[in-house]
Amino acid sequence: MHPLSRRTFLTTLAAALPAAAFVRSAHAAAIDDLASSPDTLRALGETVLPAELGRAGSAAAVADFQRWVANYRENAELLHGYGTSTLSRSGPTPATRWMIQLDALDATARRSGARSFDALPLDRRRAIVRAELDSVKADRLSPVGRAPHVALALLSHWYASADATDRCYDARILKESCRPLASSGRKPLPLAGVRA
Amino acid sequence: MSAFIGKARVIESDICIIGSGISAAMVADRLARTTSRSIVVVEAGDDVPPLGQRYPLRERYQQYGESPWPNDHLEGYEIEGPLQSRSMQVGGLAMHWGGVTPRWSPADFRARSMFGVGTDWPISYDELEPFYQEAEELIGVAGEQGPPSMDPRSRPFPMAPIPLTYNLTLLKEWAAKSGIATWSQPVAKNSRPFDGRAQCCRNDTCFPICPTGAKYSPDFTWNRLRKTRRITLYPRTLVRKLVLHDSSKRIAAAHAVQRDAKGGGIPVEFRAKTFVVAAGYVWSSHLLLLSQSSRTPDGVANRSGTVGKYLAGHRNQQAFIALPMRMFPGMNGQHSLLSKQFMGAPAGDRYLRHDLRLWESSFARGPRLRGDDGSLLLGDEIMKDWRERTKTGVARVRAYYDVIPDRSSELTLDRSRTNAFGDPLPKLAFRDAPESAALRAYSTTTLQALFQKMARAGDGTVLQTVEDDGRGWQDHPAGGCRMGDDPATSVVDKWGRTHDHENLFVVGAPNCVSGSCANATLTFCALSLRSAREIGRTM
Ligand SMILES: Cc1cc2nc3c(=O)[nH]c(=O)nc-3n(C[C@H](O)[C@H](O)[C@H](O)COP(=O)(O)OP(=O)(O)OC[C@H]3O[C@@H](n4cnc5c(N)ncnc54)[C@H](O)[C@@H]3O)c2cc1C
Ligand code: SF4
Repeated sequence: MHPLSRRTFLTTLAAALPAAAFVRSAHAAAIDDLASSPDTLRALGETVLPAELGRAGSAAAVADFQRWVANYRENAELLHGYGTSTLSRSGPTPATRWMIQLDALDATARRSGARSFDALPLDRRRAIVRAELDSVKADRLSPVGRAPHVALALLSHWYASADATDRCYDARILKESCRPLASSGRKPLPLAGVRA
Repeated sequence: MSAFIGKARVIESDICIIGSGISAAMVADRLARTTSRSIVVVEAGDDVPPLGQRYPLRERYQQYGESPWPNDHLEGYEIEGPLQSRSMQVGGLAMHWGGVTPRWSPADFRARSMFGVGTDWPISYDELEPFYQEAEELIGVAGEQGPPSMDPRSRPFPMAPIPLTYNLTLLKEWAAKSGIATWSQPVAKNSRPFDGRAQCCRNDTCFPICPTGAKYSPDFTWNRLRKTRRITLYPRTLVRKLVLHDSSKRIAAAHAVQRDAKGGGIPVEFRAKTFVVAAGYVWSSHLLLLSQSSRTPDGVANRSGTVGKYLAGHRNQQAFIALPMRMFPGMNGQHSLLSKQFMGAPAGDRYLRHDLRLWESSFARGPRLRGDDGSLLLGDEIMKDWRERTKTGVARVRAYYDVIPDRSSELTLDRSRTNAFGDPLPKLAFRDAPESAALRAYSTTTLQALFQKMARAGDGTVLQTVEDDGRGWQDHPAGGCRMGDDPATSVVDKWGRTHDHENLFVVGAPNCVSGSCANATLTFCALSLRSAREIGRTM
């Protein structure tokens, strides 16, 4: 079966019959798809992430994102709000929606005569992504799971990382990692100094 | 001792503590140390995951926003009004807490005599001071003393302060330009290995979970007391009612239910010489109100009709201020500077007392998808835009200010909502006393003017001011069983003993007469230790 129709089929099924078992198998199938045909996502990474990451850095960011998607849990209890007794839970897996969007990128590329999205040059890929993000009215980097488009999810995931912050500030801040208390009074070292 | 009498399991002890939050931990710790009495602790919620599991739980929180304390609540407890947290588990809310532990100021206990507003407490700061110290030594507070006139204390903190980050050092210099003295916020986080727990490694998820144990949480006390068999703790056991002795006004028993996984449970009766309700600002009053009988139609300890009344707390104003200095947010973001400069006598001619805290912030300095002109940013553009905007920094400044509670600031029983056992749930409504309500606009404008002054002193700009009162809520809630010398207007005496029942104590948060203008939990701990001393003395 062509991946597009299989993914679409599973997603439609999950939406029509949102029983936990169907949703789970749609999630699992989407994860399989991601693992077995990673080229579109890899190409999307190179399209939306900063070029300074290089191919290896971008591939690593994409692999991290894939792990995030694979380990997503539906209906998990979320952190309590402060000042309220209302509880909240995580929603359905975004993986099925994002698979369809990846397929749509390929389909758009094929319509323009290319073999697939990853076969297009960077500027053409970027034009496609821009059009997609405009069509979902994306205006901010949202929490990963709530991203309306897979391109945004990938961006949100990487920009939330300690690596992204350190690159922005060109400083080894290493947010949310264990660091000696004693060194906190010092200005963080520049990355170049650390890497050299 | 435990036996079955009729259908109920009966558990006897000298002291029965209801609740296992931080206040309960203080009481149990002191009584275990200073007496040989048998102690039972009854907790409605489950045990918490052990320390060894907290890194993976933290990881799920960081990656997916999942609660790092799974199943830490009772089902069906959605209540009307602003509940501080749904959390009910061994350790209580202080499993989630940020560990920020300022003392309150002497003026908090004397607002009526000093400023002609509110109600004086029946105790002074000086009477509470030794118990502040004891609490700091028990939970392990790392702190720096501010100028003694603003921050009096008799002995040093048990640990040196958490060092200021590079960012906070810059902010301290900036605050000084406005004449504001700031210092490292005291916190229950280890600046060195302490009490068998690790040194803080500033990985910055204190709220909601510390994976190293560097932040104090009550499970550490419970683990120790359980290991040495100084207490017996009954988790998943909800006390539903306190029952009077047939022939006296003493409390004879606490009727409880040991909850099962299906939503039901088996009855348990706790009998003790002394009962200590340490169930926090909501559930303490709630239990007293639920304990109705023909002899106590309005619940126990409620001769004054003030159980559940005078809920107290503070409100805040905060500002995000852009400053022409380069900061590096993420160095230890939950740590802050503190000033108590405005916690003494009001600076103006009207009553406004507040604390002041300063943090690094990435407000308006995060990566973004659209540029100023609305154009979509992709690839290198996002990073370029982000780098440009982070050449200058942002400070978060927040002032908690004192709100005088009204009698109608209250917890009542909500007959329209019941728990799985048919007991009405509580309903909460916070209300300012008329003098505070009249000062609200003044408080807002005065604090906003202070933020503007601070911004100007650093050539900065106030980006946004926010009041955190969206849900009619006041922070660090307390009250409901306030202390006082007069049984007609208060629920407990100055030791936390109920006026009506000589063997019933209510401790910690509910005892507060007012809510001050700084984080409250250290004060709840000090009050609880003071009550524990009295319990031990009189048994
Ligand atoms: C996210 C968060 C961050 C916070 N950060 C800070 C901070 O940095 N600094 C600060 O000062 N404060 C902070 N607080 C507030 C602080 O956590 C609380 O003030 C404190 O933990 C309250 O302790 P307590 O013992 O009074 O009550 P609780 O912690 O509420 O303990 C009461 C216990 O009693 C149990 N119980 C209730 N009813 C019954 C019953 N009928 N039978 C049996 N058991 C019962 C409950 O399950 C609960 O475990 C924070 C709170 C939250 C939620
Ligand atoms: S900064 Fe990290 S190690 Fe320190 S108290 Fe907070 S969570 Fe624990």
